[in-house]
Amino acid sequence: MGIACEKETMGRYIARRLLWLLVVIFSVSVITFVIAHAVPGGPFSREKKLPPAVLKQLNEKYRLDDPLWKQYVEYMGGIFIPRLTSGEPSTSYLEDYLINIPLGEYTLRWMNFGPSYKSQSRTVNDVFRENLPVSAELGFYAFLVASVIGIPLGIVAALKQNTWVDYIAMGIAIFGVSVPVIVLGPVLIWLFAIRLPIFLPSGWGSWRAEVLPSIALGLGSSAIIARLTRASLLQVIREDYIRTARAKGLMERVVIIRHALRNSLIPVVTVMGPIFAFLVTGTFVTETIFGVPGMGRYFVTSITNRDYPVIMGTILLFAVVIVIANLIVDLLYAWLDPRIRYD
Amino acid sequence: MSSRKVVVALLVLLVVIIAVAAWFFLIRGVGAPTVVKIGKIDPANLPAKETLSSALFGAGDIPTLDPSLAEDTTSIQMGLELFVGLTRLNEETAQVEPGMATEWKVSDDGLVYTFTLRQGIPWVHYDREAGEVVVVKDEQGNPRYVTAHDFVYGVKRTLDPKTGSNYAYVNWIIKNAQAVNGGSELGDQDPLYGKVDEIGVRALDDYTIEYTLTQPASFFPGIASMWINWAQPKWLIEEKGDKWIEPENIQSYGPYVLGDWTHDVSATLVANPFWPGIDSVPKPSIKYIHFTMLDESPSFANYEAGLADVAGVPLTELDRVKADPVLSKELSINPEFCTYYYGFNVTKPPFDDVNVRKAFSWAVNRKAIVENVTKGGQEPARWFSRPGLTAAPDPAKGDDFGPPAEGDPVKAKEFLAASKYGGADKLPEITLMVNQVEGHVKIAEAIQQMWQETLGVKVNLVTQEWKVYLDTLDSDPPQVWRLGWCYDYADADNFARGVFRSDSGNNHTRWKNEKFDQLVDQAAVETDLQKRHDLYVQAEKILVEEDAAIIPIYWYTRVQVTKPYVTRTYGLGGHEAYEKWKINK
Amino acid sequence: MKALTRPPTSLWVDAWRRLLKNKAAILGLGIIVLVFMVAIFADDSVVAVLAGREPQPLLAPMHFAKQSLENNNAVPSWLTHVFPTLKPVGTEGGYAKINDTYLLGADYNGRDLLSRIIYGTRVSLAVAIVGPLVSLVVGVSVGIAAGYAGGRTDNLIMRFVDIMYGFPDLLFIILLMALFRSTTGAAEAGTLRAVLTGIDNAMGGMFFIFVGIGVTAWMSMSRLTRGQILSLKQKEFIEAARAVGAKDGRIIWRHILPNILGPIVVAQTLNIPQYISTEAFLSFIGLGVQRPTPSWGSMIADGASAIRTYPNQAIFPALALAAIMFAFNFLGDGLRDALDPRLKGTD
Repeated sequence: MGIACEKETMGRYIARRLLWLLVVIFSVSVITFVIAHAVPGGPFSREKKLPPAVLKQLNEKYRLDDPLWKQYVEYMGGIFIPRLTSGEPSTSYLEDYLINIPLGEYTLRWMNFGPSYKSQSRTVNDVFRENLPVSAELGFYAFLVASVIGIPLGIVAALKQNTWVDYIAMGIAIFGVSVPVIVLGPVLIWLFAIRLPIFLPSGWGSWRAEVLPSIALGLGSSAIIARLTRASLLQVIREDYIRTARAKGLMERVVIIRHALRNSLIPVVTVMGPIFAFLVTGTFVTETIFGVPGMGRYFVTSITNRDYPVIMGTILLFAVVIVIANLIVDLLYAWLDPRIRYD
Repeated sequence: MSSRKVVVALLVLLVVIIAVAAWFFLIRGVGAPTVVKIGKIDPANLPAKETLSSALFGAGDIPTLDPSLAEDTTSIQMGLELFVGLTRLNEETAQVEPGMATEWKVSDDGLVYTFTLRQGIPWVHYDREAGEVVVVKDEQGNPRYVTAHDFVYGVKRTLDPKTGSNYAYVNWIIKNAQAVNGGSELGDQDPLYGKVDEIGVRALDDYTIEYTLTQPASFFPGIASMWINWAQPKWLIEEKGDKWIEPENIQSYGPYVLGDWTHDVSATLVANPFWPGIDSVPKPSIKYIHFTMLDESPSFANYEAGLADVAGVPLTELDRVKADPVLSKELSINPEFCTYYYGFNVTKPPFDDVNVRKAFSWAVNRKAIVENVTKGGQEPARWFSRPGLTAAPDPAKGDDFGPPAEGDPVKAKEFLAASKYGGADKLPEITLMVNQVEGHVKIAEAIQQMWQETLGVKVNLVTQEWKVYLDTLDSDPPQVWRLGWCYDYADADNFARGVFRSDSGNNHTRWKNEKFDQLVDQAAVETDLQKRHDLYVQAEKILVEEDAAIIPIYWYTRVQVTKPYVTRTYGLGGHEAYEKWKINK
Repeated sequence: MKALTRPPTSLWVDAWRRLLKNKAAILGLGIIVLVFMVAIFADDSVVAVLAGREPQPLLAPMHFAKQSLENNNAVPSWLTHVFPTLKPVGTEGGYAKINDTYLLGADYNGRDLLSRIIYGTRVSLAVAIVGPLVSLVVGVSVGIAAGYAGGRTDNLIMRFVDIMYGFPDLLFIILLMALFRSTTGAAEAGTLRAVLTGIDNAMGGMFFIFVGIGVTAWMSMSRLTRGQILSLKQKEFIEAARAVGAKDGRIIWRHILPNILGPIVVAQTLNIPQYISTEAFLSFIGLGVQRPTPSWGSMIADGASAIRTYPNQAIFPALALAAIMFAFNFLGDGLRDALDPRLKGTD
């Protein structure tokens, strides 16, 4: 750390981290691919059995009878190697590109995440286009809920340490952590959608449907943020420079806002990244209970269906989200605590 | 001019106008409307009075709308509204009724079926941009009517190994179909493999279809109703490939057209104004059917919140629903053509001994399971072919065999004592395997306990995830396992021969019985209903009593709630005929 | 004067002393100890294993798997007063079967909920212990190594953590569990798979949950540790320690560890609910402990689907879970205050 190069600029730092992203994607993709294919059973094993010749035909169509390494290379090639084509886009589900840039009479096509074996009329890109925004929205709202409740709660608790305000605030926080979504979800539905029909018990697309799942998902994380904020703020308040600031006669509010809060948010920021990633990727239970058509729900069924492209595509996509979230956290971290230099 | 003359002139004019209109509409036909304005569809905001909101679909997208690829209830349900087969199964009686075919004839040897098609039913498409249902036109601009060629194309496409149809095997009864589809012993080395033109189906003219079968099969008109035999739009599939079923492309001809399909969220059907209405498939009364794709629990929650008009009832809510003064009136429990059973691997000790199998079967109190565990009004099953299927044994008709509904602990102990093991303590370790689904596990836990209490046998319960489970059943079936079977066509043949004939890919018991095979083969070609019934009774007796290769557990029911303003029919096979429903909000 | 007469006490003894003064923490600790006792004495397996017989229920009224189908979903009469929607049979719209043998009611197969909750302590506690243990040992050592070594080592280690981090936790656990679960019953004897499956079966399906949680739990801890070390490292007292020639090990143990322990303990305590809910989540999607072994997680999952009809089936295991969560949280808080060395001498 101490020997961090002075010339390292923020731009170069980001570029370097993005290069790392490729390494991460490579590792994640290999591991996921191996595990997904190690699970016994194939996408076409069914209760009513297919004749072997038909199965062979299907495996050929989706190139499932190629050696694993070849399947891997082809799949990754489909995603990463751009293609220049002319004419109409293909009608085959095997060729659906996420990015299509028209260049005169040609089109540059990039990122084919493959077909879905289960939903024969959809591709992984369709899932990205339609289900991902829903999950992201839910994750974002939950994140808002978590921060808006969590940070103020933590600050209030720390400032009024060991008073009833603190106890109530922390009581709320502990409650949030202690009640899992699978209990909170049905209770919320029962209370606010059936007994008092303010919200919709399920669905997505209107605020009446979106409030309950966002709260159910965000509450647990808000508790984590509240507690961490409190713990961290308490620690900072006792630090020498705060005492100095106080001793200098600065107003308490100024001390808290200018000095204590900023520093105390450092550990909070470190968990924000993972929490955001957790909220975006961990929406499964919430999505199931509230019938939200997001990605989490899709992912679990994709494993039960051995829908390899969906498994791979989802994990890769989330890997990118997580890595970028962490990068942003690190940048924030450095910005908030000038003592840390890019390394 | 007198007023009389004016009246006469007007009358003449009127007659001329009517004549011209009639000439346009009836004689030449070109003036017949080919477009009907419906208006744009907003699936979140359909007119409540004209919309039925159905929460009967589970979570997850409709897998496909392609008749060749459909294999699940949801896809087939959608298909039944978009397409109509040559015949149509009545959803309440499971009887074969005329569909797109007005009549059919069988040759004397029972091998050749000739279907005569209804005329003048056009292919249609819902244009989402314009909000119109449009009749599909060919290159010359003439409306495309459903013809025999479309049906033949559908059959051939289903059997083409390139299509990879899961249900194609049902059509193997058609001449050469098995070899073409890759189901013969030679597989893809068969000279006929992939040669779809060799399949025994052809269009004699635009409105006559001829099927040639490999053996007589009195149940073939039932097969003709299935999705694998529906008409398909060749021109569209060739142009759009896999994407022909997307809402912007799809063309169909049934009572409803696809108005909207928001993947993973909902699908909306719009009444097809060009569907003329026939006895078995009337012109729909409800204009919009809106399907939501949600798990059972949120579906039911929606129903309680007044957001759905019909929904399934989760097992866990049933006690309350049955007691609730309002919900209990909206509750319906109806039979469904499925059987829930446990199978033995008869090659694995101790179940290589028929007495042990009998002991385990007689120790199960089916009545207690349906009353206390499943609770959905299921019937305790005593044999495999569900009563109500054509030719299946039926307790209501006096058939009485198989393990008793309440089990028989005394007999069960006797069987165990009579086995070569002699007693519970000498049995090897036993594993019962079910796939990891809450309902199956509940039943397994109950049965595990019954075996423990009645026979004193401690059985390990192992659960596996579905695909793994299927693999295990294929490669190395555990000692005892669970499966269910639902009908493809409403005939006992689909159950007895389709599952437990010794060469069936669905028979995971490894149990083979020549006499059973003979009986079900004989029943398949027999045309006399009473004789067929008797043959199935004999075959079933071998399966569940003499050899006790399986433990039948219960016959399925469908548990639903429907709002009182909906007038409806109740489908037996898990499918509903929404075109027959009415709504009066 | 006082400081001179007091014998030199180690950090930990001091911490313990301070912890004892914290009522909430002691309450938490008490609950945890109580739950531990309940877990151990749910049945007499301690004696039974030695005597070589089947364990008999001790604290639990019945065995967790004992079912009585005719009493499925039975409810004791006192509950009908607590939950007004739980109407007993015979009243208007009433459906609940009353049976006072079951103190908290019976589940769908007529198994005693109280007994299942009592036995369920075993799984939840095991998960609550093993999760933090793996995460602490692996995560903290990796974090310290990275943060303290700095430079290339730090980079290398953290990039590895990054890669592991790149996996969406839950999705990765699901995938892993699918792999593990799929091997049950499909393994050939003698292979590593079969051995692992054997261990898992013997533990009622918990082993694979431990592995799943272990694989994914340590990364955040290592990040947190590293982050704390980075900001501490440049503090004067560390530089001072180094200047007087203190060895690395000593610096880590005496100066860095005590300073970072607070946030780690807090974070770790906060993670326990996550481990437990991960287990609940796995049960929820059918990849949790093997049935009929009860875990609060799977009981909540089962009960949640019936919450509008039989709220007791979800609420009691949820209360049990919440109680232990509160306990761990209180204890964690107390520990934090107790372990913060800068509080030393201020009392």
